[in-house]
Amino acid sequence: MTRDSIRLAAALAVIAAITLLYAAVLHVNNATTVAMTFMLVVLVAAATSRLLVAVVTSIAAVLCFNFFFLPPVGTLTIADPQNWAALIAFLAVSLVASNLSSVARARADEAMERRDEVARLFDLSRDVLLMTDSRDALSLLARFIARRFDLEYVAVCQRRGERWEIAEAGSLSIPVPTSQLALVLASAEEVLEFDARNRTYAGHRTITVDDREVRLVPLRLGTKPIGVLAAAGRPVDPGSLDALGGVVAIAIERTQFLEERKAAELARQSEELKSALLASLGHDLRTPLTAIRVAASNLQASWLGDAERREQADVVLTEVERLTRLFENILDMARLDAGAVSTELEWVHPSQIVDAAREHVEHALSRHRLETVEADETTLVRLDPRLTAAALAHLLENAARYAPPDAPITVTTRVQDEALIIEVRDHGPGIAPADLPRLFERFYRGAQARTISGTGMGLSIARGLLAVERGRIWAENCADGGAQFTIAVPVERKHMDTVGVSADARA
Amino acid sequence: MTAPARILLVDDELSIQRALAPLLRSRGYQVDVAGTGKGALKIVAEHPPDVIVLDLGLPDIEGSEVCRRVRESASMPIIILSARGREADKVAALDLGADDYVTKPFGPEELLARIRVWLRRVLSEDRVESGRVTISDLTIDYDRRRVLRGEDEIRLTPKEFELLAFMARNPDRVMTHRAILKAVWGPNAVDQPEHLWVLVAQLRKKIERDPAAPRYLVSEPWVGYRLATSD
Repeated sequence: MTRDSIRLAAALAVIAAITLLYAAVLHVNNATTVAMTFMLVVLVAAATSRLLVAVVTSIAAVLCFNFFFLPPVGTLTIADPQNWAALIAFLAVSLVASNLSSVARARADEAMERRDEVARLFDLSRDVLLMTDSRDALSLLARFIARRFDLEYVAVCQRRGERWEIAEAGSLSIPVPTSQLALVLASAEEVLEFDARNRTYAGHRTITVDDREVRLVPLRLGTKPIGVLAAAGRPVDPGSLDALGGVVAIAIERTQFLEERKAAELARQSEELKSALLASLGHDLRTPLTAIRVAASNLQASWLGDAERREQADVVLTEVERLTRLFENILDMARLDAGAVSTELEWVHPSQIVDAAREHVEHALSRHRLETVEADETTLVRLDPRLTAAALAHLLENAARYAPPDAPITVTTRVQDEALIIEVRDHGPGIAPADLPRLFERFYRGAQARTISGTGMGLSIARGLLAVERGRIWAENCADGGAQFTIAVPVERKHMDTVGVSADARA
Repeated sequence: MTAPARILLVDDELSIQRALAPLLRSRGYQVDVAGTGKGALKIVAEHPPDVIVLDLGLPDIEGSEVCRRVRESASMPIIILSARGREADKVAALDLGADDYVTKPFGPEELLARIRVWLRRVLSEDRVESGRVTISDLTIDYDRRRVLRGEDEIRLTPKEFELLAFMARNPDRVMTHRAILKAVWGPNAVDQPEHLWVLVAQLRKKIERDPAAPRYLVSEPWVGYRLATSD
């Protein structure tokens, strides 16, 4: 209203200014020139403001024209019927022009509004794409809608058997009766008509709960209704609400799809686990069992000398060791899967971890030379020594398995940027580039590695153990041959200040 | 026996080598050990053994491929060590020339018994192509196409006789379904094992005292059949 009154004042001022200019300054008294000028002002007023402004402007213009320029000048008398024609022309122009302009403006406003809704829908669909399959995905979706559409209440309702699963969001909480939801769903199941004027499909419903108007929109996937969207607060154009319903339906389907895919992935993984375990039992269990069986029956025989007896006993011990390691791995994997591994932090010297790991896989390392390099002899670190040593043991075992017996395996420890870095460097054949990305996957075995016995569990367990203490592990090939595995575990560090402490820490 | 029999043990697992080699030596065999297929082929070429004991899972060459390459130049018996559940590998190796198999985990006597059977076969060289063969109380007369149990003739159909004669020509050897089908019905029949099942059932009714617990025509589950010459 105020904008119109400003426009009206401006138009009247222009009329007054023109009147003054023509009558007092320029002394123009040609009626046609004056009429044309006034007509222009009326046209501009009509095109930019509402009809009322245009009509008042045209009446003012007619009055000024009559009083100041039409003979007899100085009176409002209309002597000539010609002047009636001028008045009617002014009014007609203002009517037509303002009508045209108001239609155009209404269109523009509508377009703006629609653009606004489309922008909101667009933002929402982007939100939907970022949604994961988390358990509260639906309430997250409701929150997104409430935020993007500035609504005071949003509910995404789905029927599960007899129950309704309702995810709500917004500043209000409105108890929408489920009977109404059921009605909307039922009618959506019956009719699928498109209302071209409102740009909606049939089934929209408006109810009043606690003096609040709540809009109910059926959610459809294709033609199948899967739920109801309830919205209250800012009035949203029905077409947009319908489109919103479509986006919500897609979001729901996407969530379900993600859930199903995750379930399928889990099933596949456990299937893979089973078959890999079976395959591993096929070889890694049979070979030790055969060796133990034969060696044990050799031990019973009378033909054995002392040296041979020791040899056979050693075979049994070695293979029992191997079986123990296999079972440890299977157990570790199960514990990691179950999330049953926790950390226990302790101050230790890095060399203690290397020693513990080496001791753990002594058997596997029996034919290899292990060299250790300590870059930081006087630093203590705080971490879970058991987890770290277990992970390192897997790396040592791995190196011993693939590297030739005569070449050394080098273990380097250093503390760098609040992390303990342990590098295991071997002089084996290295890692095929194709295997690098999948090296730490469970049961993954490189094409070359398949000829060497192993289960594909060790490296994945090492990664799992380290992940529990927020550590990392990676592998690379060295320029001069061989592979290098690196462990990095975040630690607290402190300096050993006396020799005595050092001796204790190493004890 | 003049010289001790030579056995080539091929297995990449150190523990198996360490357990089996002394066992075989303790029975008076001379034992060579190879950890790879290439090593095995080299020994076969330089000092042909009397029997090869071959693990199927070798680091460099598949065991079945080793069988094939050995058979290109030599005919000594090959006994495969394999895991249960890997029947396909076993069949492939048998089809490529292996003679017998022992399933891991096996006991020492099981392997020793197989080795004895095959050494006897090598030393006695009784692979008769014609004439007559006697297995326990069963006599197969190739020339007259007759089969006797003791003094009584057993009447066999031509196919039944062919099956028995084929098995008797390869005594104690595990013959794969495929190999038998090919020998008795021809190469087109190798994918129709039902012929074989029916014929084996018929033949067992005639030659076995208890067809449900066969003594001559023994099944090797999922692999084939064997004509057992001793109990």
